[in-house]
Amino acid sequence: MKSHWADLIILVVVVVVLALLPVLVNNYWLRIATGALMWAGLACSWNMLGGYAGYINFGQSAFFGLGAYTTALLMGDPINLPFFATIPAGIAVTAICAIIIGAPTLRLRGAYFAIATWAFAEALTQFANVMDFTGGIGGLNLPPFLNERFFYFTMSGAAVLTYLVTWALFEHSRFGLKVKALRDHEPAAEAMGINTSLVKLQTFVLSAVTAAVFGAIFAYWVTFINPKSVFGGDITDQMVVMVLLGGLGSLRGPAIGGIGLFVVSRLIWMRWGDTAFYIAILGAAIVLVVLFLPNGIAGLFARRPAKSVTVLDKAAGKLAGTGEGGRN
Amino acid sequence: MDLLLQTLLNGLLIGGVIATFTIGFQLTFGVLHVIDFAVGGWVVLGGYLAYYMTALLKLDGFFAIPVAFLLFGAIGYLIGPILYNVRNSRTARPELMALALTFGLFTLLRGGMLTVWGFNTHTVPTALSGESLAVGPVTVPMIRVAAAVFAIVIAGGLFLFLYRTRYGLAIRATAENRQNAALMGVNIRRLSANVYGLYAGITAMAGVLMAAIFSVNPEIGLRYTLFAFFVAVLAGLGSVGGALVAALMLGVIEAFVSTYVGSSYSLLAIFATLFLVLLVSPRGILRRGL
Repeated sequence: MKSHWADLIILVVVVVVLALLPVLVNNYWLRIATGALMWAGLACSWNMLGGYAGYINFGQSAFFGLGAYTTALLMGDPINLPFFATIPAGIAVTAICAIIIGAPTLRLRGAYFAIATWAFAEALTQFANVMDFTGGIGGLNLPPFLNERFFYFTMSGAAVLTYLVTWALFEHSRFGLKVKALRDHEPAAEAMGINTSLVKLQTFVLSAVTAAVFGAIFAYWVTFINPKSVFGGDITDQMVVMVLLGGLGSLRGPAIGGIGLFVVSRLIWMRWGDTAFYIAILGAAIVLVVLFLPNGIAGLFARRPAKSVTVLDKAAGKLAGTGEGGRN
Repeated sequence: MDLLLQTLLNGLLIGGVIATFTIGFQLTFGVLHVIDFAVGGWVVLGGYLAYYMTALLKLDGFFAIPVAFLLFGAIGYLIGPILYNVRNSRTARPELMALALTFGLFTLLRGGMLTVWGFNTHTVPTALSGESLAVGPVTVPMIRVAAAVFAIVIAGGLFLFLYRTRYGLAIRATAENRQNAALMGVNIRRLSANVYGLYAGITAMAGVLMAAIFSVNPEIGLRYTLFAFFVAVLAGLGSVGGALVAALMLGVIEAFVSTYVGSSYSLLAIFATLFLVLLVSPRGILRRGL
């Protein structure tokens, strides 16, 4: 129960700081804070599947973009829906797409899933590029709404909600135990009666839908989107780096990694402008983290180093030799 | 009718070149159990090597082929063990980490190339550029014919190597079952380095030809990574024989969509086929995937 108190205190402090920030800083920094919260939430969404279920999604930008485009299209001229009414629509579209991609590929090895998600994101980019109703390469404009505080609070709400959902669902529920069990040893989890395909699909849809909500807010916030800005591979790259940097499969790691990397990226942007060099830095960061910091920043502060082999692995290994050939 | 034949032939010729590096991609998956996102990066690097050799040294583009093999083969030989170590490390999820590593490498290559060489597109002149060969009613560019001949030589050589030599047997055995291969005395670590080096070298050579046939810029790498994934999904991950068939199919599909629908739709058609195969027959149309 001790950990519950620690979590609660942290949450209260974070909420108080978030609530006070608009009166402490000017609009410029409030915009950066909004962006940092968005990326923290996106990193958490990617971590749901990548960290807790152990499936790498290289096409998370597809869902971010689906949310953004759904909002842009529904708020646009012929339909003119209010902003908050477009979010459920974006969630529905994203959930359907996630099921179509996830249902066949999540049953296979992780590699097929990685390929399928990556290809889906690239396909959507192409689709948005050639279609007329998406505005082609030029993209879409949304009705401008220039209220920094509105977006700051909406983004904070979404980010805190994402964090709480992760806390409740993946760290403190039976569902979370199921997800972790299938990640650590899928055959053993199945033998215990867990419907692993269903649990993986549920996690994937939740992760995709979360990204879509942030996409919807992002579209309304920046008032202009095009295929590159919401479907682009750089968005996924950035999420992967943030989660790996913060700590794969940890609760706080992705949030810390997301805020940290976003602020660094803004500082680079202020100094050197929009540069391709940032892509190279992202790539180098992924490589370096994988090689030298596989447990991320969160791993540095963990009370004991993450065990190389899980308990389930040991038990299953004793019973039936090693499972999948890769683990020596 | 002539256009149909022309398109078919063009597609098959390009498919041959795609086959050379996708066979390597499949081998790498079989031996290292890693899908290599960086494949497109090696193709583009081969293309840039050819561009700089023709632009700065005034050499013919074909001279870049052996240089690309040696240079990127050596680089691949050095990267192979790193990949092997990550894939077999004692961290909680080595498969994920290895996947992230190749993804990071690909991003690093793409970002680095964009930073150094910018977004411009370059062409690679060769002795055969502009020449064409008439076969009955259709004419095909000479460079494509040369590329296809090269592809046949490389693919044939690879198959002979895999199925007729002791080392090829060791590679196939490792792909089939790593632990048993190791028990039979195969040094998996060294073999992984060799296979990754061989694959990177071949991929860079294919990159030289692709740059000579089309052109090269840093963003085009995404396209070749997609090609490799498409072939891997169609053939089933790890299936070497299937890769040849799937690569030829890819070439033909691309040629037909480009000619009859429009080149901006070719990527979309490839994605659509990829998803259809994943939905209907997820382990490849030949059901040979790992």
